[in-house]
Amino acid sequence: MRNRNATAYRFLAPYLLIFSVFWVWPIISSFMISFQATRTVPWRFAPGFNWGRLIGDPAFFNAVKNTLLILVIQVPVMIALAMVMAVLLNSPLLKARGLYRFAFFAPVVVGEVAYSAVFRLMFSLDFGIVNKLLNSIGLPKIDWFSNVTPAMALIMIAVTWRWAGYNAIILLAGMQSIPEDVYEAATLDRVSKLKQFFHITLPLLKPVIVFCLVLSIIGTMQLFTEPFLITERGGPGGGTETLGLLLYRQGFRSLNFGYASAVAYTMAALAIAITLVQLWLTREKQ
Amino acid sequence: MATVTLSNVVKRFGAFEVVHGANIDIKHGEFVVFVGPSGCGKSTLLRMIAGLEDISGGEIAIGGKLVNDVEPADRGIAMVFQSYALYPHMSVEQNLSFGLRMTGNPKADTDRRVKRAAEILRISELMDRRPRKLSGGQRQRVAIGRAIVREPQVFLFDEPLSNLDAELRVQMRVEISRLHKELGATMIYVTHDQTEAMTLADRIVVLRAGHIEQIGRPLDLYDDPDNLFVAGFVGSPKMNFIKAQIVGQDARGVVVELAGQEKTRITQPLAGAAPEVGSKVIVGVRPEHFGSAGEGDTDLVVAIDVVEHLGGTSFLYARTAHGEDVVIQRDAAKVPTTSEVTVSIRKSYLFDEKGLRLR
Amino acid sequence: MSSLSSARLRRSIALHLFLTPLALIWLFPLWMMVVFSTMPDNGIFSPGIELLPHGNFVDNFNNLQRDTNFVGAIGISVSVAVTYTFLSVLLTSMAGWALARYQFFGKGVVVGIIFGTITLPYAVVLIPQFIMVARDFQLANTWVALIVPPLFNSLGVLFMRQSFSMMPDDLFDAARVEGVKEWRIFLFVALPLARPMLAALAIILFLASWNNYLWPLLINSQPGSMTAPVALGTLIGLTKVSWGGIMAGAVMLTVPMLIVFVLLQRHFIAGIAAGAVK
Repeated sequence: MRNRNATAYRFLAPYLLIFSVFWVWPIISSFMISFQATRTVPWRFAPGFNWGRLIGDPAFFNAVKNTLLILVIQVPVMIALAMVMAVLLNSPLLKARGLYRFAFFAPVVVGEVAYSAVFRLMFSLDFGIVNKLLNSIGLPKIDWFSNVTPAMALIMIAVTWRWAGYNAIILLAGMQSIPEDVYEAATLDRVSKLKQFFHITLPLLKPVIVFCLVLSIIGTMQLFTEPFLITERGGPGGGTETLGLLLYRQGFRSLNFGYASAVAYTMAALAIAITLVQLWLTREKQ
Repeated sequence: MATVTLSNVVKRFGAFEVVHGANIDIKHGEFVVFVGPSGCGKSTLLRMIAGLEDISGGEIAIGGKLVNDVEPADRGIAMVFQSYALYPHMSVEQNLSFGLRMTGNPKADTDRRVKRAAEILRISELMDRRPRKLSGGQRQRVAIGRAIVREPQVFLFDEPLSNLDAELRVQMRVEISRLHKELGATMIYVTHDQTEAMTLADRIVVLRAGHIEQIGRPLDLYDDPDNLFVAGFVGSPKMNFIKAQIVGQDARGVVVELAGQEKTRITQPLAGAAPEVGSKVIVGVRPEHFGSAGEGDTDLVVAIDVVEHLGGTSFLYARTAHGEDVVIQRDAAKVPTTSEVTVSIRKSYLFDEKGLRLR
Repeated sequence: MSSLSSARLRRSIALHLFLTPLALIWLFPLWMMVVFSTMPDNGIFSPGIELLPHGNFVDNFNNLQRDTNFVGAIGISVSVAVTYTFLSVLLTSMAGWALARYQFFGKGVVVGIIFGTITLPYAVVLIPQFIMVARDFQLANTWVALIVPPLFNSLGVLFMRQSFSMMPDDLFDAARVEGVKEWRIFLFVALPLARPMLAALAIILFLASWNNYLWPLLINSQPGSMTAPVALGTLIGLTKVSWGGIMAGAVMLTVPMLIVFVLLQRHFIAGIAAGAVK
């Protein structure tokens, strides 16, 4: 290949322009804003102002706690479920594969607002179909919106419903790229299907699983629409307020950009830290 | 005049040098084949002539004009690729005309050139088809046609026949020869197949590991190789190499004794200085230069492992008493039925320990 | 042989017995969306269990249109998504082409930065982006605000880079030898060959734009400039609002995408599987 600096940068120019204006500069700017008091006009530089407040703010710790709680429970459950879906969809014994695939993959195209609205209706206390069904089989109604634990569970159920199929698609594609003869060889060696899964599929799929985990963690980290719309602005009483919601509330309701930027950087730091831990845990052993 | 001159051409990828100063003079209208094993730098050399690779050192001139910094399109060359590189989403006609259309050539002229190329290659009835619907040989023709429409001074071929089956390969070889006569253009052709090189070339450039081993006409390379590599590379089955030692000198030349076989001696005339007595050498014998007992200088007994009958001739795969493998060509009628046979060496080549020809 | 096939049969039955309820649970919210959208409001809030569609969709839609100008919002959403998809496909494939096909100074840095942004939460740039677009550029409540900032998409570039680098070198070299300019090679050789990948990318980008919520919520909050999801979102949580209408809106946002999904499933799955966009 010949060196073609001018040609290459001509092709990259529009993309890099958008990138610099709408990403590189904001990343720097966001960092600087987090060191400014932004509720005075003009803004003034006050390094400890937002970060100091952050450390002592119970609302912040509540949001961190909620976000991490969702992360720790929802992400593994969802990935495991996605894995089950992918394995079963990949089974040669499955009939009407297209129908099952549609069922699991369809939520991928559903917008956050549309499904948030449906979940709100389905889970409402007196008229929600879920409670009606629980009642009809003799179980008590659950007040999904007024108690913290059911509200958190509802958020996790909603997010899992929306994203499990998405991850299943990625995992399924990964599985289908594993050459068939590896399994044929194992079958000839009388390795059971279950052992094949744990000793062939899982190890070979590890990079794909890590990819899913990283994307899911970053996604859940920024969770906003579900607690905003389903549990009504992080209700009950901040019980489902996430970092994404706190950022929205501080930045765009209270117009406290400095504090919101500090929250944003905390999210970024957490996401990067968790991703690094993830990569470290799943690193290739020598 | 489309001469192509390479002077001290060097190619480096980073710190890694793959072509170490190549000097080649190609005359107008000449058919030159670059041949060598894979990784010898022959394709890189061709791509440098095409302008698809930067030249790390030295100069390349086409038609007497230095082209080091000239864009591929302005070098007066056309190239046929190993993979044919046909655009799968275009018809044959569109494939042929694509370059001309894209560079603003007048439509009437483009049509004329495409029509002519199609006639030369006898693909006129395929013009509306997509490459997917063509056989290997037809794709090859279209690829060549795309070069012809450019009416270049120099054609470059990068292993064009390696994706074809054996029969088609022979057919296309003849076709390319015919094309060369018809167009009279300079052609540079890269292959790893010495048969292709021998049958097509006016001159062959043998390359190994980025060095030019020898340049010459096909039969000169065959009859008079400069070194062990060329001797072994040109000719099929390849030349036999037998270890030997200089034992003396007589009126006719140096006397050589095959390793481990006292009394099996060959006398080889040498124009240059003879190596010292006792130095190790290698005797090269082509399969067809083994004669019946008594026909040559010396006789030796070999044990036959396998006989391959090809019809008119046969090849004996055998071992010398010292355990060296040799291939011997025989008329089918004269194949021995015994497990051992005595043969003579009618003609041989002598190489020193470094592989250079002693002559 | 027969014991083997009967074991297979048992396994197959177990598989379907497990997967069928799971699939039904997964389809249930979508089904209920359709059911709700056809029920009158007093039906939705009645004690009975209703699992089949009624005939009230048109009334619900009229209620929705009364609560918010949903048709107008859909118009904005469609136009924005189409424009965004076109521009984004063009930009990401140009960048992917450069990264796949050229050797150039600073390539390693550019690739490194693009990879680096994958793990960076969008939240980090959200506030400055908002300040810049709304205050510095004065572009709030315009189409430009909806379309341009989201054009940066690192996964899409990596997807296109991958697609282009899998194509054989000779194809482009052949055109180069013929004197075809690089941008024409890109336009007339590379892009046509990348059609399946472009389709996958376009579908995913369209979907992302169609469903995008947070950024449009922040930047285009004026009634006349809202996208459909934002317009619908404003109704959720209001006390005097038609839920049947909201559901009719949800159906209108979702069903076209489901149809596209069914028709173009292959491209859809290819795009997601390659991680084109989250």
